[in-house]
Amino acid sequence: MKKSNILLLIFIAVAIGAVVATISDSSTYVTFEKAEKNPGKVYTVIGQLNRDKPMDFDARAGVFSFYAIDKEGESRKVLYFKPKPTDFERSEDITMKGFATDTAFIADDILLKCPSKYNEQNKLEE
Amino acid sequence: MKYIGEATWIGEAGRLFTSLALVSALLSALFYYLHIQKKSEYYQQTGRWMFYIHAFSIISVVALMLVMLSGHYFEYDYAWKHTSRSLENRYIFSAFWEGQEGSFILWMFWHVVLLLVFTLTNHKFETPVLLISLLVQSFLVSMILGVYPFGVKIGSSPFVLIRELPENIGLPWTQMEDYLQKLPGFMDGRGLNPLLQNWWMTIHPPTLFLGFASTVIPFAFAFGSLISREYKEWLMPALPWTYFSLGILGAGILMGGAWAYESLSFGGFWAWDPVENASLVPWLTLAAAAHLMMIARTKGTALRTSYWMIFLTYFFILYSTFLTRSGVLGDASVHSFVDLGLNGQLLALLLFFLIIPFVFFGLRYKEIPDKSEDETFYSREFWMFVGALILLVSGFQIIFSTSIPVLNKLIGPEGLVKLLSENMAPPVDAIQHYNSFQLPFAIIITLLMAVGQFFGYRQKKAGRFWKSITTSAAISLVVTVFFASFFDMWKHPLHTLFTFTSAWAFFANLDYWLRLARGKWTVSGPSVAHAGFGLMMLGTVISQANQKIISKNRTYIAENIPASENVLLEKGDTISMNPYYLVWTDVWQENYRRYYKIDFLQPDGEQLRPAFSVVPHIQINDRMGLVAEPGTKHYLHNDIYTFLSYASDVQNRNSPDGYGDEMEFMISKGDTFIVDRYFMVLDSILGNTTRDLKTGEIKTVSVEAVVRLISAVGNRYELRPKYFIDEHGVVNHLDAESEDAGIKIRFKDIDQEKNKLVFTTWKKLDDGPDFIIMKAIIFPAINLLWAGIIMMTFGIFLAVYQRNKLRKN
Repeated sequence: MKKSNILLLIFIAVAIGAVVATISDSSTYVTFEKAEKNPGKVYTVIGQLNRDKPMDFDARAGVFSFYAIDKEGESRKVLYFKPKPTDFERSEDITMKGFATDTAFIADDILLKCPSKYNEQNKLEE
Repeated sequence: MKYIGEATWIGEAGRLFTSLALVSALLSALFYYLHIQKKSEYYQQTGRWMFYIHAFSIISVVALMLVMLSGHYFEYDYAWKHTSRSLENRYIFSAFWEGQEGSFILWMFWHVVLLLVFTLTNHKFETPVLLISLLVQSFLVSMILGVYPFGVKIGSSPFVLIRELPENIGLPWTQMEDYLQKLPGFMDGRGLNPLLQNWWMTIHPPTLFLGFASTVIPFAFAFGSLISREYKEWLMPALPWTYFSLGILGAGILMGGAWAYESLSFGGFWAWDPVENASLVPWLTLAAAAHLMMIARTKGTALRTSYWMIFLTYFFILYSTFLTRSGVLGDASVHSFVDLGLNGQLLALLLFFLIIPFVFFGLRYKEIPDKSEDETFYSREFWMFVGALILLVSGFQIIFSTSIPVLNKLIGPEGLVKLLSENMAPPVDAIQHYNSFQLPFAIIITLLMAVGQFFGYRQKKAGRFWKSITTSAAISLVVTVFFASFFDMWKHPLHTLFTFTSAWAFFANLDYWLRLARGKWTVSGPSVAHAGFGLMMLGTVISQANQKIISKNRTYIAENIPASENVLLEKGDTISMNPYYLVWTDVWQENYRRYYKIDFLQPDGEQLRPAFSVVPHIQINDRMGLVAEPGTKHYLHNDIYTFLSYASDVQNRNSPDGYGDEMEFMISKGDTFIVDRYFMVLDSILGNTTRDLKTGEIKTVSVEAVVRLISAVGNRYELRPKYFIDEHGVVNHLDAESEDAGIKIRFKDIDQEKNKLVFTTWKKLDDGPDFIIMKAIIFPAINLLWAGIIMMTFGIFLAVYQRNKLRKN
């Protein structure tokens, strides 16, 4: 057998390893309830801002808190230890990467889906 | 009906040239194909003339687009969407490619330029290369056709008038012959997204598109050679074009990184963003293909591997186009274009140029002469082959992770084949995910680069090999020990190892060029390019692995969650941020940018001495909200990079408009009510109704309340909130607010039974003095990265030049 063929086999094995590792590395989108079954484990939750509840940004403590409703309709308090993202109120969906605790969902990272972003609407004032 | 003031000739000419471009490209490809089949000069000449007509048509389309954009013809949707009267002339080009249609035209324009150069300089392979390139080009032209045969949308034309847009057809104003004069919306366009009004954005997209366009030539060489059965002859002339492609595509991608570093607040140079990845992967496989072609040319082995590597590269180019333009990435990336509903067409393009080349490859597989001689471990080709395979696996890992949204579409719960019960989410920590894979690959690649040059071509014995690599290895070891001790990198063995291998790749190639090749320019291309790559990787590992967030707080709230990675600055206050002291001294606004000047001070004995200032800014972008743009202080040995995560003067903390404490109450005319610090008196009510002329029924009602606010010290403010009911019976409010009083009032309702009016009031929340929240990062030795990029790009073009000379001899 040629050396190059052996090499190819080794690399195919590495590639398969990469795929398996990626799949185990990739998370799934979950609900708050599922995240709470495993407190401390990092999950990605997609939800929407609960506009009936207060939100508060305490700049000195560096904490932004708000309530989010997940896809199942469950509302939870979310703490985000970073400055309040711009245009937070305008967001449609909020993707939160973080983990559950007894008192609140701690978000490490927040991604917003804004209706205006990249969505070109051709509105002419008549 | 004739519309007044419309420059319809632009659109008519534009559509004419678009159709001509399509027909001429198809005919040209057909005649070139006949030339291969029938071998008659006549077919080739006809094909060439058809190509010239095609080139003329595309250039005319470009010219018409420029006329439309620079001439403010806002009756055209593309001009309205992407330009405005206030747009500076130098951004007309950015407006050109801001939209999908324009970027397709840019891509085709580069194809035409490259193919013109090709036809005028390379006669031997004109037929197969032009045949394949024009097939690709036909697909691209169809993307801007904008026709609807049998209700199916084919392409999206940039020459569409706003009144012809599907959503506007049938609207009353489209029947007005003087709509351009009457409707204020047509006086000015919406303008270019401020994010693109940036120096880097005028050069990054055209360079990247030139890189994308240029890959068609190596692809066409390989594919064309299968059709014309010239399996080996194509390698020599294709090599300079392949290197050219590698250089330009690399420069385009890295310019994007430089743009991100200079103008975006990603917090760095490379973020493993899906679109960055999608353009990096074809670059990696193209590099693999270029090296395989070298092996195939010198040794006659690896020819079959070269073929499929090039086909794969072109597939990744088209796949990258598909990812950015189909909207499948959604919000996963900053780069995505708007979905124009061309997904079917994009998919057809992708599959056509995936399946057809591989089918041909399979059919001709047996005919392709591939030497089955085995390599020794001491030959350069063996290690080049290993390197090429590592590049492929590295690219494969990146594209697989990037394709998670595509996988969800294919095998997710709503996908074609429902294999997964839930959608996969991209890795939680993307940067960590990619780095953990790519770091080992990069270590092996740089190691191969370091030693590769010293294996002679076709050499079979160890010979002087070991002796020749000791000097550069020793120097690299010293450099590594220095960096690792200085930055305390020993706790990350892989980072330390990578520092060594990249330094070695740099020094070994420098050594090879200066000592063994004696600095000769004729053989310097690969050495300079490889040394540049090593330097670039060295700059990457030093600056990224040792970046330090100096604005980080030292107190931790929970494990792994720092209290804050940002500092809060009130205007005028001096705060400490090790090793500096900071003062926010100034803020000003120019157009849509708000600048914040922050002075960095350093203790000097008892006193604080100003060290430098940074000016991070915030772009007030009406399309994307607020965009933070960094302010960076560049030193030779490091950069201090800052951006604002928050500014209280442009962002309200608790409510969208800064008003809160809502209160609702009912009063009659003349009543007084206490609102916050004011007495509120309802002075008078002004009503107005309109009636239908025929039936006499009330059509609209509008009521204005005149409200006075009187403060304890006697300051008076008059507000006039309005309440109205339109012809459809819908209730509307026009709130009144007084910035000075800090009160907003809504005339909410009229209670007819009690004969009272309902009001809602809000008061301006006092958020305290203005403050900004800033993040500051030190990137050490990032200049090594830029120097490496420049050196590598220069080296690649040197190789193009040398290869081209070799071809001619």
